[in-house]
Amino acid sequence: MTFEIHFVTGKGGVGKSTVAAALALKKAKSGLRTLLVEIGDQSFYKDYFHLPEVGFNPVQVQENFSVALWTGQNCLREYIIHLIKAETLYKLFFENAVMKAFVNVAPALPELAIMGKATSGPRHHGPALPFDCIVMDCYATGHFMALMGAAEGMAKAVKVGPMGEQSRNIDKTLRDPEICKYYVVCLPEELPVRESEELYEELERHFGVKARLVLNKVLEEEIGSNEYTAAEKSSSKEFQTFAKDDKINRGIHREMRGRLQKLDPQLVPLPTVWDHNVQRLLDILSERLS
Amino acid sequence: MKILVCVGNGGVGKTTLAAAMGVQAAQRGLKVLVLTIDPAKRLATTLGIEGKKDITRVPNQNFKGELFASVVDHKKTFDDFVMRAAAKSEAAKKLFENKLYQQLSTSLSGSQDFTALEKLYSSYESGEFDLIILDTPPAKHAIDFLNAPQKLSVLFNDKVARWFREPKNNSVGGVFLNLLNTGTKQVLSIMESVTGSELLRELSDFFLSIEQWQERLEARITNVHRMMVDPETQFCLITSFDEAKLLEAEYFLREIRKGGYHLRSLVLNRSYPEWFEGKAGTLKEKPTGAEKLFALYQKEKIFYDQRDREHSAFAEKLSKETHVLRIPEVAEPISDLQGLIRMAEILKEKGDSE
Repeated sequence: MTFEIHFVTGKGGVGKSTVAAALALKKAKSGLRTLLVEIGDQSFYKDYFHLPEVGFNPVQVQENFSVALWTGQNCLREYIIHLIKAETLYKLFFENAVMKAFVNVAPALPELAIMGKATSGPRHHGPALPFDCIVMDCYATGHFMALMGAAEGMAKAVKVGPMGEQSRNIDKTLRDPEICKYYVVCLPEELPVRESEELYEELERHFGVKARLVLNKVLEEEIGSNEYTAAEKSSSKEFQTFAKDDKINRGIHREMRGRLQKLDPQLVPLPTVWDHNVQRLLDILSERLS
Repeated sequence: MKILVCVGNGGVGKTTLAAAMGVQAAQRGLKVLVLTIDPAKRLATTLGIEGKKDITRVPNQNFKGELFASVVDHKKTFDDFVMRAAAKSEAAKKLFENKLYQQLSTSLSGSQDFTALEKLYSSYESGEFDLIILDTPPAKHAIDFLNAPQKLSVLFNDKVARWFREPKNNSVGGVFLNLLNTGTKQVLSIMESVTGSELLRELSDFFLSIEQWQERLEARITNVHRMMVDPETQFCLITSFDEAKLLEAEYFLREIRKGGYHLRSLVLNRSYPEWFEGKAGTLKEKPTGAEKLFALYQKEKIFYDQRDREHSAFAEKLSKETHVLRIPEVAEPISDLQGLIRMAEILKEKGDSE
């Protein structure tokens, strides 16, 4: 049986969640039972897909396509109850304000629990997760590296015992290119491109992972310079300025695309979609994600 | 002294806006400090803080007041805080070597928020500036920033510490031991079987090292909180436009009021391109020789028209209690002080000043 885990990350505001949703939709359409996972206390997809609620247990959006919201806290809770097979003991230990707060901030523990759950399928360890494909809409760059490094860090800190063993196992799975795929989403602007370059190189250097770069909201059409010259003579000031800015933007987009293609020749460019409708937007983007 | 805290999701242009607000205040004659978290290279160069850790006067300025800037160095701020808080320097040294501390002070979610506030407070204490503008760390949710100190405070809380410090010696006791009593042994053995004894040792070392500085930490957090709810401290929520983000902004506004904080404005950044003039500017007839460009123009026009309507409805809904500013996206990236001055002018034009 195949098992796929896709991690989608990138700088804040580049459209990670939209790209993750488009990718999940594509996988679902191909027949894989797909779970789109977001991390944190508040759901983005709840309003995005107009769902009544999104929580820890998967909510179906359409056929083969469900969404869930994970926190380190509830991943850890589920895992520990699964291990010790006794909810009362769990409650005794974790269900007090102090421990809750502690788990929330304890170094790497929430991150480890999240990554442990994400990789539980191929590792055949932990509570059952009945999906073939998991798409993780991950935190912005900095937090993503904390997620990635949690297992390795814990394995180093705790060499013996089950925790160390599972941590090594998670770390190994994350580095397995057959199972885990990584996407760094980026906008054709200086700052996100620089951050993506750094993240791409860091992932390769530190984890031996080759990520796919996804350049979102690209202006793709080729406009001849004669069009810009003609626009300068337009009677409308708005159109004139539009044309001037369009030329600047397309120039920047070409430059940024070139820069990223040097790192990843298989860069996936996604077009700017001038449409507010989420379903149509996702359909267009998922077509392009091959 | 006044404080302006810029909060918002990552990638919405917080840092640039914070710097532009700094420029605007300096133009009005104030001595301003802009505390940034992770400025883009060009912005850092513009502010003269690239690769520097100290508060720096922004070069090439000619304002009525004065503009200073600094990057918050997390590791250093955290360590400084520990040095001050630890009663003995050996305790601090031991803590610096603890693996959990090393992770905690660098990669823990929330620690950046903590150090940003810590840096803000020490700059505030110095009394050297008329206005301090804080650019907050990127977060998935703007609200996380406000909860960070309390989260951390609980971690260093003596009750938690005592609980971990005391696996064997009953004399230390502690609220939780008493509470759990017979359950404790069982619980610790479960934890040991799940995590391994090494982790427990690291944890107990960690809490031994931070013994006796809870009081200082609590005092600090109380002071920081007092500073944050002072009417002279105002918040500016910066967000981008889309349905989900706007709902989140509404949630944040409610939280900020509930917490007793003061909101100055809600900025919808990059909400339309600079060329967009709304209905008034619309070109209807096809210009000769620019057909392709015109088709694109029409598509974008429809898109931004719709967005404009949604914006207006949103601003209308909030207008009673909140000042909503819509800031256009400028085509050319801001790369020098002139760019910031231009952004400051846009802010002024949109009515953002005290």
